Amino acid sequence: MSQVKLSLQNALLTLEQLQQTPSREDGITEEQEDHLRQLGCHLIQHAGILLKLPQVAMATGQILFQRFFYQASLRKFAVRDISMGSVFLAAKVEECPIRFLDLVNVFDHLIKKFHRLPLDPMPAYQQTFYTLKDATVVAEMQILKKLSFNVHVQTPYAIMINYLKVLELMDHPIIPQLAWSYLNDGLRTSIYICYQPPTIACSVIWLAAMKENVALPTSPAWWEVLDAKLEDIENIAGHITSLYHRPLPISTLPFTIEQVEPYLRGELNKNASNGSPAAAATGSLSSTSIKGTRVSRFS
Amino acid sequence: MPRDPDTLREGPRPPSVDDNMTPVYSQEPEDQETYRHRSQTPVDTYREQAGEAAPEYHIEVPETEQHPVLTQCRSVENYEKLNRISEGTYGVVYRARDRITGEIVALKKLKLDQEKNGFPITSLREIYTLLLAKHPHIVNVREIVVGDTLTQIFIVMDFIEHDLKELMSGMRSPFLQSEVKTLMLQLLSATELLHENWILHRDLKTSNLLLNNKGEIKVADFGLARRYGEPQGVLTQPVVTLWYRSPELLLGAKQYTTAVDIWSIGCIFAEFVNNEPLLPARSEAEQLEKIFKLLGMPNDKIWPGFSKLPLASHVPNFVQPYNLLRSRLPYLTENGLDLMSKMLTYDPTRRITAEDALKHPYFSEAPPPKHPSMFPTWPSKGEKTAKKNASPSAPQAVHGHGQDEEEAGGLFNFANQESTGFRLKV
Repeated sequence: MSQVKLSLQNALLTLEQLQQTPSREDGITEEQEDHLRQLGCHLIQHAGILLKLPQVAMATGQILFQRFFYQASLRKFAVRDISMGSVFLAAKVEECPIRFLDLVNVFDHLIKKFHRLPLDPMPAYQQTFYTLKDATVVAEMQILKKLSFNVHVQTPYAIMINYLKVLELMDHPIIPQLAWSYLNDGLRTSIYICYQPPTIACSVIWLAAMKENVALPTSPAWWEVLDAKLEDIENIAGHITSLYHRPLPISTLPFTIEQVEPYLRGELNKNASNGSPAAAATGSLSSTSIKGTRVSRFS
Repeated sequence: MPRDPDTLREGPRPPSVDDNMTPVYSQEPEDQETYRHRSQTPVDTYREQAGEAAPEYHIEVPETEQHPVLTQCRSVENYEKLNRISEGTYGVVYRARDRITGEIVALKKLKLDQEKNGFPITSLREIYTLLLAKHPHIVNVREIVVGDTLTQIFIVMDFIEHDLKELMSGMRSPFLQSEVKTLMLQLLSATELLHENWILHRDLKTSNLLLNNKGEIKVADFGLARRYGEPQGVLTQPVVTLWYRSPELLLGAKQYTTAVDIWSIGCIFAEFVNNEPLLPARSEAEQLEKIFKLLGMPNDKIWPGFSKLPLASHVPNFVQPYNLLRSRLPYLTENGLDLMSKMLTYDPTRRITAEDALKHPYFSEAPPPKHPSMFPTWPSKGEKTAKKNASPSAPQAVHGHGQDEEEAGGLFNFANQESTGFRLKV
């Protein structure tokens, strides 16, 4: 164990970690794992919007969530608890701490909404609050422990904006927002655990420029100037675009540890309609606006 | 670009795109395939020119030496606790030995019992700062280990023999000028790095400066450190231990800058020279009074905006218009005094920066700074077995967990000797 144990550089996965996740070893299928990961990220993104967190904090939270489940199984830790812990911890890491009460209220509301339960406000000073609060504290410590305190995440938002400026695309009516949204949606995939932020920033610009049919310098190719490989760019773009073709049956997914076993047997909320498509959930709702969003210099 | 097949490690591909599925999302990008056949896109033109075929999707995993890997925390059982070094409000520090390599380290146990808001944000900041600020004169953090329960968290740091407060209280005479210069240069270079990285230490004082037996200072205890930026967010008050607190903080300024650290360094500088604290006061009012008595009453002329500070109107109006710094430091050279007054300037915007201080003529005049390897060495207080340590087996007495043998040093325990040093009541 002579390798670096603590670092500010983003931790990436080894091939073994990527192929054999703890959840897969625990008998969860690839599709189920993907759904649960997307669910957690979905929850974090929406909670962040309701809590008025900067996008960088939500991104950090989602990356922590993704990282955590390469160290632990989805059978042992509930999506709800870990996503709450991720938001809580990410808010501290990004210097915008939130209160337990706000956090618990927002998650309670979102979970009811996603499971299509009546949206009653959470009763004050009742057991629900304390249960969720304790779960958050434990989850936060578990995240810190399993990630060996490597929780300071580098995000590509500020890098992407610099690149857009270099490429003189900041004034384009669509590309900056589109690329920003791709960054947000890409949090639901494994790209942030497989690539360093500058490569991801190049990729979303590439994807957005392609969508808008904007030609960018080719001799030399702009991505080579920015030290990215076309192959990586295309891989990342492939991961992001494939998101829009995978439905996320959100109302049938488990939030708590008690709901996991019925879910894995295919018995959770069977009667609920089975196809709110991923794209509907992934798109405009999750995208925070690039305009007026404070990009921390540290992101 | 031909690639060596050995370096190419293929991972799972992204899920395949179902062609029959109708896109639902309005801003939905079209299939990758569509892009590939659109001849006018710049990428395709580029590719045709280069004569390359489109590569297949895969996730390439760089070699693990190039980036950190996700791992869990190791257990504290990897270290053997030797003895307790000190205990403060922040937590307990132990001296311990790595069971595998045999290296001596310091284990700082975080106090988490009374936390109401989960893991303390101050500890997160401390860990972040220590990771960011890798510098020969900033204490090196090795890793973080956990105990059996979730509330036992230890930061593993290099073990440094002395802290300067403890050391100076046991010294009969102050540091030599050449030694002061070396210490100041080291302290300023560490501070320069922090400030360059937008970090405020906010608690510089002699007890937070460690000194090893090679004459190297290590800045420690980043429990109050935090990043700052432009525009500044809300910063907490109060910060900095009273004796080292700058006048703008004492007068309740809402915004403060790196200048607060420089004021502290000025106080430390005087403490090195005199071997006693410059401004030891018991209350904030007394602290201000001592500053004004020493440096003269500030006014809007020498410190624009002084009278607009929140607490400026409460300042006792005794008149002492003169700067009496010289009387406190009779043996310091003109250059030395000049540097000191630039660090203890009232107006924070005109206070010298760490970068400029390093270039000050004080450091180039005679006597030159002493090379760190020429520094005298002292037996360590933390390391109770200073002499016996050379033999591989340490005495049994220090092996117990959590034993607190404060006075075991005997002959070498300078702290118990009579000293003129002051003690800070925390």
